[in-house]
Amino acid sequence: MIDFRHVYKTFRTPDRREVKALVDFSTQINKGEVVVIIGPSGSGKSTFLRCLNRLEEIDSGEIIIDGVNIYDKDVNINKIREEIGMVFQLFNLFPHKTVLDNVTLAQQVVRKRTKEESTEIARQLLHKVGILEKENVYQSQLSGGQQQRVAIARALAMRPKIMMFDEATSALDPEMIGEVLDVMKTLAREGMTMVVVTHEMGFAREVSDRVVFMDEGQIVEEGTAEHFFTNPIHERTKLFLSQIL
Amino acid sequence: MTFNRRSLITLCILAIIAASVYYFFTRRGITYIWHWEKIPEMVFYHGSKSADDPVVRLRMGVLMIGFMLTLKISIVSIFFGIIIGTIVGICRLSHEPVTRGLSAAYVELIRNTPLLVQIYIIYFFVGSMLRLSAFAAGTAALSIFAGAYVAEIVRAGIQSIHKGQMEASRSLGMTYAEAMRHVILPQAFKRIIPPLAGQFISLIKDSSLVSVIALADLMFQGQQAVARTYHAFEIYFTVAFLYLVMTFTLSMATQYIERRLAISD
Repeated sequence: MIDFRHVYKTFRTPDRREVKALVDFSTQINKGEVVVIIGPSGSGKSTFLRCLNRLEEIDSGEIIIDGVNIYDKDVNINKIREEIGMVFQLFNLFPHKTVLDNVTLAQQVVRKRTKEESTEIARQLLHKVGILEKENVYQSQLSGGQQQRVAIARALAMRPKIMMFDEATSALDPEMIGEVLDVMKTLAREGMTMVVVTHEMGFAREVSDRVVFMDEGQIVEEGTAEHFFTNPIHERTKLFLSQIL
Repeated sequence: MTFNRRSLITLCILAIIAASVYYFFTRRGITYIWHWEKIPEMVFYHGSKSADDPVVRLRMGVLMIGFMLTLKISIVSIFFGIIIGTIVGICRLSHEPVTRGLSAAYVELIRNTPLLVQIYIIYFFVGSMLRLSAFAAGTAALSIFAGAYVAEIVRAGIQSIHKGQMEASRSLGMTYAEAMRHVILPQAFKRIIPPLAGQFISLIKDSSLVSVIALADLMFQGQQAVARTYHAFEIYFTVAFLYLVMTFTLSMATQYIERRLAISD
């Protein structure tokens, strides 16, 4: 379903240094697969996600989703992004809109659904993430965990084929991580294709099909969560796991 | 302690002003006979206009006629200033070098030349080529002038919105324009209301400069009335007060809008 072929991505810092975010990066993700990406900061995890819906331009290589090279000049990237939901570390809810309007806006603007239709879908999803009673409040009145659940509902409202989570629980207070992970676990069990950047190894163990350990823009090691808990091979993997577990 | 000292300083300044005014009017030998009673009829009067229009009713005096024109000029210029400013402000952030360069050139050109000169150029040069009326030339000059400042305010407002907002919108499949319209601009406008209000208050005051192209605005009518009656002090105080009515109303209105929009905070 998703195919990364020899992707290179380099960032230039303001002081003109080059930072290699992805180096000859290749991987495949199948439909229905839940992939967890782990790795130290600056290892290219977020870049990997952001290339997957072209929030970043790549230097070379190909990223093919359902047979379409999304970096092709003729591709309508907006059409592709409709199918890929993204959840951000800092939620990025629209602060000038109520919870309900956050979830209906893109449905109406992008999917051209009517107000009634989009509201109905939004209510279903807000119910699903357990926050329907807050539909008329603004984000400033929500806790971090609640905001992130709204953000998940907002992404799901587009009925995406793939969901990406970019450190979705990293900015949350510890007692709120669980409520967000529960929503993500439910999604995974429903068969959603998910690419999840996280350090929550409990989540990885419970629902992931594959864990990918990245460092310096490359995949160092990949396998099941169990593999990472019991016998990681590479020294870098062991060192990293000893720091987060 | 600080309060006492500050009020003491204020009192001193007021005393100095009062003393200077007293000195000015007495010791320097200027005797001025105030004719405030002539002012009300310049604002409103009850009577007939001329032999052609002999109906006796409440009519606007010259200053009120000027006030209405200044109001009209200001509203039209603010309207076009917002449109020009928003478009140019977005262009300033374009990835297209030509668009970015042209919009930057416009802003720099307009901000770095005097408005009075711009009014003359637009009226005498552009206006005579395109056969613009004084009103069209005056409002065009003011709109273009305000547009440059609004553009910078809009640009700063857009840049102040966290880039995650654009990323979230785009990741949902919105185009750049859709994201701007539904997500970025509504938030940016809320944030730039105070500087915009300041800009438009300036614009109302700057509109007095169009009196130089014989547009009969408040300032022009005031000057004419002074030339006719020599009651310079009374008339200019009244003109100042009428400008104050407009600017203060705008100021109050924006504060009201700001409070209304603060609901989502």
